[in-house]
Amino acid sequence: MSLLTINGLEKTFKHGSTEEKILKGIDLDLSKGDMTALVGASGSGKSTLLTIAAGLQEATGGEIIFDSENLTALDDEQVREIRAKRFGFVFQQAHLVPFLTVQEQLELMLDTAELKWSKEERRQEIEDILEKVEMQHHRDSYPDSLSGGEKQRVAIARAVIHQPEILFADEPTASLDSKRSKEVMRLLTSLTKESSITVLMVTHDESALEYADYTVQMKDGLIEYPG
Amino acid sequence: MKMAWQEIMKSKTRYLILGAIIFLISLLTMIISGLANGLSYDNASLIKELPAGTFYMEEEAEGQYNFSSLDGETMEEVETVSSEVMFLSIQMGEIEDADEKRHSVAFVSTANNDYFPSIETGGLVLDASIMEEGITAGDGVTNGMLDHSLTVDEFVEHQKFSHAPVAFINHDDFQRMYSTDDFQLAFIPGDEAPHMDGYNQFTNDEFLDTLPSYSAEQLSLNMIVVFLFVISGMLFGIFFYMINVQKIATYGILKAVGVKTSKLFKMMWVQMFIITVIALLLSVAISQLVGIVMPEGMPFLLTIDSASMMSLVFLVIGFIGSTASGIQISKVEPMQAINQGGI
Ligand SMILES: Nc1ncnc2c1ncn2[C@@H]1O[C@H](COP(=O)(O)OP(=O)(O)OP(=O)(O)O)[C@@H](O)[C@H]1O
Ligand SMILES: [Mg+2]
Repeated sequence: MSLLTINGLEKTFKHGSTEEKILKGIDLDLSKGDMTALVGASGSGKSTLLTIAAGLQEATGGEIIFDSENLTALDDEQVREIRAKRFGFVFQQAHLVPFLTVQEQLELMLDTAELKWSKEERRQEIEDILEKVEMQHHRDSYPDSLSGGEKQRVAIARAVIHQPEILFADEPTASLDSKRSKEVMRLLTSLTKESSITVLMVTHDESALEYADYTVQMKDGLIEYPG
Repeated sequence: MKMAWQEIMKSKTRYLILGAIIFLISLLTMIISGLANGLSYDNASLIKELPAGTFYMEEEAEGQYNFSSLDGETMEEVETVSSEVMFLSIQMGEIEDADEKRHSVAFVSTANNDYFPSIETGGLVLDASIMEEGITAGDGVTNGMLDHSLTVDEFVEHQKFSHAPVAFINHDDFQRMYSTDDFQLAFIPGDEAPHMDGYNQFTNDEFLDTLPSYSAEQLSLNMIVVFLFVISGMLFGIFFYMINVQKIATYGILKAVGVKTSKLFKMMWVQMFIITVIALLLSVAISQLVGIVMPEGMPFLLTIDSASMMSLVFLVIGFIGSTASGIQISKVEPMQAINQGGI
């Protein structure tokens, strides 16, 4: 069953008077619970595609159908609400909120997603996720005292704690060494698989591909289908 | 709400500095306006200490009290209108003490009054500030226009006119000095202000404005205070702006994960409010303390009421300043922050 469908997506950037078409009509289909990896040369438009699909920037053409709603036709507030409640994000950098402790970051996400959970349920959920990412002992630490891998683990916890339907990940392992990368990928896969969260992930990391259900290759603003 | 406080606790130094700046600016403004108030009070405490009421002045005097005169007939007429009426005359003059030292004073003579000391002929009641010039109770002082000397009976607090200490004097002596039987002004306390043909009416403040030395001084003092407020407003804006600029990336990330822009604004307002209120409480407390320790010669007047009013103005200024500088929050694109990198 397809959860997110991208049809003829186009994106043009203006550099002064010249225009550059980065996405030239992308068609892509994400099925529920699958992890799709997006690969391709640097500058081929992977991040652009991912952020547009995630409602973080607007397309110049085409449509994105998420759960039978056309994202491109919604207003900013409606898109924000979908991002808050139904999407999760992991980026190359963890992008944690510098003034919140690990636990507070997670609480903020639960508030933002406006989940109708009881205090006890919230506490339990935070406890669970901290345990899964092995950050219980760091619950009161601030981001500036965490290592890169720890930060990324918190970012993953933050991205899935509100049980989103889709997780968008842009090179989540790019800032980590290969050992940490494996750890993070294993974590990401197990967390998303257990709640059947759909994943769209951009990666340069060969070893990350083995976790993906599908791999999609981008080239010059188009998806390159084999054969 | 929670997030606002969490950030203050994490970035204590930054908010301490912001708070210190707001504290210093508001303290400066309060102290300057306390001094300005004190100066203006010192100029005319004789009038400022009176209850609110209405002054009557002869129309022909064209708003200059020393050209006004109420003859006996008029006074009787006024007394039938209001039994509470007080008559008074004011003349700038001088007294000479035993050492032949001259002291500027404002001679005030009254009739039918409930507010000022009543003086026997030959007696004199002086504003206490003149004690610093070496005059004590029981001293005999003279005035060139008077053939007998006057004895200082006692001193009263806060009675000054045109920055000179007031000398309350019996009307007979006043008459002898200035050879006039008439009083210059009538004053009726309270809201009751019957119209009288041939006389202009002034509220206390309007009467003060007819005194050229007072109104000119007041204008300068008001300008100083207004400029202080305007400049503080700008400083507030600039500092809130700087704090916001440092947080642009964080705002972008918060927006990316779906935090409402309105929540970010609330967070900024709450922070502004917490910091400003603490800073203002301190300023009010310290400016009141300054009022207590100020030496006599440096008139300082800042009532709790006006300090609270100023605090309110500062809060409004802080709100406007932070909101104006917070416009950036609404402009931040999540993509900016994501591309920029960070923690
Ligand atoms: N906001 C923007 N304004 C102008 N040009 C942009 C903008 N964002 C991306 N581009 C351009 O679009 C092209 C594709 O960028 P994108 O970030 O999508 O590539 P990518 O495939 O993610 O590359 P990488 O693997 O290096 O991350 C690049 O040439 C980039 O310069
Ligand atoms: Mg990229």
